[in-house]
Amino acid sequence: MISARKSSLRAVSDAQKLWPHLNGVFCVYKPSNLTINQTRFTIISNICRDLNELSVRPPRKRVLIEPSTDCKYLVKTQNDLSDHVLVVGDRYQNCDIVMSGSHNLGKLTSGVMTFGLNRGAKMASRIRDNRPIRVYHVTGKLGKSTESHFYDSPTTAKATFDHVHLGKLNSLLTSLQASHQRKMYEMCGVDMQSQSAYELAIKGPIRPAISNIPLLYSIRCIEYKRPYFTLEIHACNESENYLGILINEIGIELKSLAYCSQIRCIRESHFTLEDALVKRHWNVEALLGNLKRCRDILLKHPEIIAQTNPILENMNKEQSQ
Amino acid sequence: MSLLHRKLQNIVFNSVRSISKLKKRKILQDESSFEVYRIKPKTSTTHNKIYVWGMQETGALGLATSLKVHKHGLTTMKKYPKRMPFGERFEVIDAAAGYGFSIFAVEPTEEHGNYTLYGSGLNTDSQIGYHKHLGIINKPIELLLYPAPIELPMKSPDEIHRVIKVGCGRAHTVVLTEQGVIFTLGNNSYGQCARIIIEDENYLGSQVINRLIPELFENKRIKDIACGQDHTMFLTENGEVYSCGWSADGQTGLGTYNNQELPKLVEGDIKKEKIIKLSSTGDAVLAMNDKGEVFGWGNSEYNQILLDSDEQQINVPLHLKYLKNIGKVTDIAAGGSFSMILNDEGNVFVWGYGLLGFGPNVDFCKEPKLIPPTLFGRNSFNPQNRIISINCGLYHMAAINSDNDLFMWGRNKFGCLGIGHDNDQYFPFKSLVGAKVHRVFCGVDHSIALCKLFI
Repeated sequence: MISARKSSLRAVSDAQKLWPHLNGVFCVYKPSNLTINQTRFTIISNICRDLNELSVRPPRKRVLIEPSTDCKYLVKTQNDLSDHVLVVGDRYQNCDIVMSGSHNLGKLTSGVMTFGLNRGAKMASRIRDNRPIRVYHVTGKLGKSTESHFYDSPTTAKATFDHVHLGKLNSLLTSLQASHQRKMYEMCGVDMQSQSAYELAIKGPIRPAISNIPLLYSIRCIEYKRPYFTLEIHACNESENYLGILINEIGIELKSLAYCSQIRCIRESHFTLEDALVKRHWNVEALLGNLKRCRDILLKHPEIIAQTNPILENMNKEQSQ
Repeated sequence: MSLLHRKLQNIVFNSVRSISKLKKRKILQDESSFEVYRIKPKTSTTHNKIYVWGMQETGALGLATSLKVHKHGLTTMKKYPKRMPFGERFEVIDAAAGYGFSIFAVEPTEEHGNYTLYGSGLNTDSQIGYHKHLGIINKPIELLLYPAPIELPMKSPDEIHRVIKVGCGRAHTVVLTEQGVIFTLGNNSYGQCARIIIEDENYLGSQVINRLIPELFENKRIKDIACGQDHTMFLTENGEVYSCGWSADGQTGLGTYNNQELPKLVEGDIKKEKIIKLSSTGDAVLAMNDKGEVFGWGNSEYNQILLDSDEQQINVPLHLKYLKNIGKVTDIAAGGSFSMILNDEGNVFVWGYGLLGFGPNVDFCKEPKLIPPTLFGRNSFNPQNRIISINCGLYHMAAINSDNDLFMWGRNKFGCLGIGHDNDQYFPFKSLVGAKVHRVFCGVDHSIALCKLFI
């Protein structure tokens, strides 16, 4: 792996030439059991490591004036040791790189996530402000409930689940979805009694005006193997904790108990699994390609950065194409 | 060696110290000591939940259990749908919401005395039967807070009639049993109870329950009944319509504006048609035949029957030809000042006057107009969604979609829309019923929904 990385970067052997290209938004696949800060630290360290392996800026020159026998003074230049790598440390250090995430995926969640790098760091917060829709695959397990509603905490109770069937789960999910779509109109920020509320409502799903209340646009069961069930959830403003509570409440509504055994974000607005870098590709070479790829996506869909209207664009239509 | 160390023998950790407290508790937990909750859900196939909301002061919701609380006026209205405990004790077959009262047809059970009909709410005209106070007061009850059984007159004490359809008007009730027998209760000042009008009859505390003889309908079997404000319509098995009652707007469809005392066959455009559904809440009537064509008669002041005509009363059924382009009609609902139809594509069309569901700026619609399906939950996440049934009260409308969610809109009198407040709603909005709605009944200021649980 390391040899492959070196060989392809041989074309550009100077780190100084690469540095201006390390700006913009990129997309990674965060594994579970890794916090955002750990992810960020790993990526930054990898960038520094790769850049320092290339030829870096040589030490500065120092002018030396010495008395001479031939003439009055001898002027010489010499490497400045106070600027040497062995004295001041590596040329590229972790504190030189600015990087921020567009959304806080929880520790247990794995999945697609965008980061802003250096001059693109502000872009990531812009993406966050525009409230992208994320798609999750959440797997629940029937039969017991845990303290944090996830698999990593102690059990609190156990229950039977022989009576749960797919049809009943589906009917509950459609009702949940309808209730959330109703909440969507209440959260759009206009008076429900006005004509503008009606005109907004007839256009279909809309983005919320508030950023602290979770909103589910669609929730359906894609796999049902008792005791496991997997839900596909289109959500906005959600958090890992909220999805855990949702699974727990679905379990209670089904007259049983459930906890979240797996949680995966498969899509964030237009960034899909194919755009995301897995952990072994978190290096400069792959990052440069990904920055280019994400730049193309942002140019194609400018609404990720700046919304023009609250109407949700049709995500499903694009998937089918 | 501690318990933790022994448990961790097979698990590789750097040190016991590096494990979080939460994980330590998880590892040390003995899961086999937990008691498993065993849940046995009900396996009933009938409607096992009833939700009610709207005006509670009349007692029509049947929720109050304490007269003391009711007298303090603490319970005026229910803005949120409330589960009715009555619905779990009985298997409700059919229900009807009248003007301040509700009627429930239930499956007869021996433990509850084989009663098949229950009523709750206003009883000023004995529309929910004769009930009197116990003890020395010995007066008839004008207001029932909780559903009380109504005794139907039977020819022999062993005869049990299972009620299948009930209908409510302003102050009268019509009951249809499985054997095709019809009972009428309540106010008969215009002949809506299908009996001879008696001048200055005292309806309060009246014990009269009229059992209609089959000769009134030429021995034809009655399949369905429908009640308007002060008139009653009977639908026979071969699709003929009989009507009686108030006819000042021609709502009986008999060609006159005089009150009709005894049921009479309705003719006009529906003479040779097989009618399958009748709908009326106010003074306008809509009827639908088996081919999906719609007929109408009665009040047309707000152009709810005739579009381009100044005629305000129609006393003969008319074929509404302007609905030709809409497609096959599958459901109808006639409100106080508007009409609603549902076509086979699951789209709802509304015309007339009132809060029709097109925003606050539109209060009058001269021709059938489609309510955007996105308002009923059809969007890119749920493209197959369609409306399966509609209903309406005098001023508000209701629709149920294929996911069994209830959508309501219109004038929100006393919170009868069940959307959590009592402000008017100008476009369809999901009401807060926490179950699958199968049928909804709209009264003048309250609503009843027959629901099933998710599980």
